[in-house]
Amino acid sequence: MPRTTKRSSGPDSQADAIEELYTRGVTDGLPVVPPTLTRVERAIEASGRPGDDLIALVPPNYGRATVEKIAVNAVMAGCRPEYLPVVLAGVQAMCEEAFDLHGVSATTNFSSPLFIINGPIRKRLDVNCGVGVFGPGWRANATIGRALRLIAVNLGGARPGVISMSTMGHPGRYTYCIGEYEEENPWEPLHVEHGYTPSDSTVAAFAGDAPQGIYDHRSRTAKELLTTIARSLQVVWHHKATALGDTLVVLSPEHARTIAGDGWSKKDIQRFFWELCQKPVKDLLPGKDGGEGLPEHVLAKIPSPETDETLIPKFRAAGHLKVLVAGGTAGRFSAVIPGWTFPNGSNLVIKKIHSRD
Amino acid sequence: MHDGVFFEDQGLPTATVISSEFVKAARAQADALGAREYRPVVVPHPIQPLTREEVRLLADKAFDEILARLTP
Amino acid sequence: MPKDDRYLDPTDSVAVPRKTAPRPPTLDGKVVTLLDISKAKGDHLLDRIEELLRERVKPKAILRRKKPTFARPAPDDLRQQILKESHVVIEGLAD
Repeated sequence: MPRTTKRSSGPDSQADAIEELYTRGVTDGLPVVPPTLTRVERAIEASGRPGDDLIALVPPNYGRATVEKIAVNAVMAGCRPEYLPVVLAGVQAMCEEAFDLHGVSATTNFSSPLFIINGPIRKRLDVNCGVGVFGPGWRANATIGRALRLIAVNLGGARPGVISMSTMGHPGRYTYCIGEYEEENPWEPLHVEHGYTPSDSTVAAFAGDAPQGIYDHRSRTAKELLTTIARSLQVVWHHKATALGDTLVVLSPEHARTIAGDGWSKKDIQRFFWELCQKPVKDLLPGKDGGEGLPEHVLAKIPSPETDETLIPKFRAAGHLKVLVAGGTAGRFSAVIPGWTFPNGSNLVIKKIHSRD
Repeated sequence: MHDGVFFEDQGLPTATVISSEFVKAARAQADALGAREYRPVVVPHPIQPLTREEVRLLADKAFDEILARLTP
Repeated sequence: MPKDDRYLDPTDSVAVPRKTAPRPPTLDGKVVTLLDISKAKGDHLLDRIEELLRERVKPKAILRRKKPTFARPAPDDLRQQILKESHVVIEGLAD
């Protein structure tokens, strides 16, 4: 099969193309913008790179993500040409070994790549970081996330029910892309924490379940509020899950202000969450308070688990609890996003966005 | 499937045991990797809630097919 | 034909045809690797397969190897080791 298939059709060609693309199984179920030559050429031009440049091989099928193939999918998703540099960096991030797109795309778990945009490009492209940040209404968030999903399907093979075997999936599998609200963040933003400068623009890929909402209107101190959030973290996956890795905590601006107002750093927050999310062995036994619990190979090493008080952390290390600030400036809500975090599972990966301006 | 397809391509007969829910995914993955003739050995889903004894019975039932997959 | 009456293919067909290996007449005298993909219960299945192999065929040796995670293909050094030391592979259990 040729790499570039050109089809012609009659007078109603745009509508026919929409139907034909759906029938070919290359969409997410919603109508796509037909990737005409003119539109794709415009997107390639905006990327600043030649169309045949290879950006990555997309697991698990290892399809070649050239600039042209990325542009075709970005056009279908509805991206404006100037979004292309973000989509290219997103492809690099999700195709990095540490992200394990192979596992994320094939798993029966819920997970979907979530893309987090940092830096000045958020303003230039009008990326939503504020009110309704995980919701609809902003073209950049909607179409960049959607383009990356279409790339995982069309170049990586993550077709639902074929190679992608997620039992439940989640709505973020249509599109899952936010900006960090750096202007409302009392601490350093995600990309600076990972060694980039504030003037860099970056995109991070994180394999996440759907956001799990935390409501806390009444806590007045950092400690009270962080305790509420930590108790919600304790039930991630299930109440006896242990050995988890990268997990996101997205604080709303109001919550962030309460915490920072008491002088807590991000490291203090991570440490506090980690410490509160420990349970003694005796409370983690399968069959006691639910059939789940510590895996057999761990239990086998404990002589009398029924009375063992040794604390087992829910998260492998405090640094796995990634803290972001996003969402509307009104409302005392935050969100936890469980990760896809088996040992050797998926880790958050950040890539710099290279745009020409 | 990646490993099985790799070993076969390198000359090592391989039997990959999968559960019945994953037949389609395995087929699609093998096809996408270019191995249209590669066939896994299938045991009934689910596996995770089974006891050790129940898993051993699955092995008993699948054993002939595993041998058949590795010899002419 | 105007340019905009055409659209481009969003997929990439990458498959290069792969071979399947020639089969030995019997597993007698062969080195069999049992590859555990590191999914829970897979070791129970492979334990029983090992017993059955010992009872019913006469392999020269049975080697037990384990992938670090089911979520990725086996690392290159493990693949190379298995290629070097064995004649056939049984892997499981994907569910």
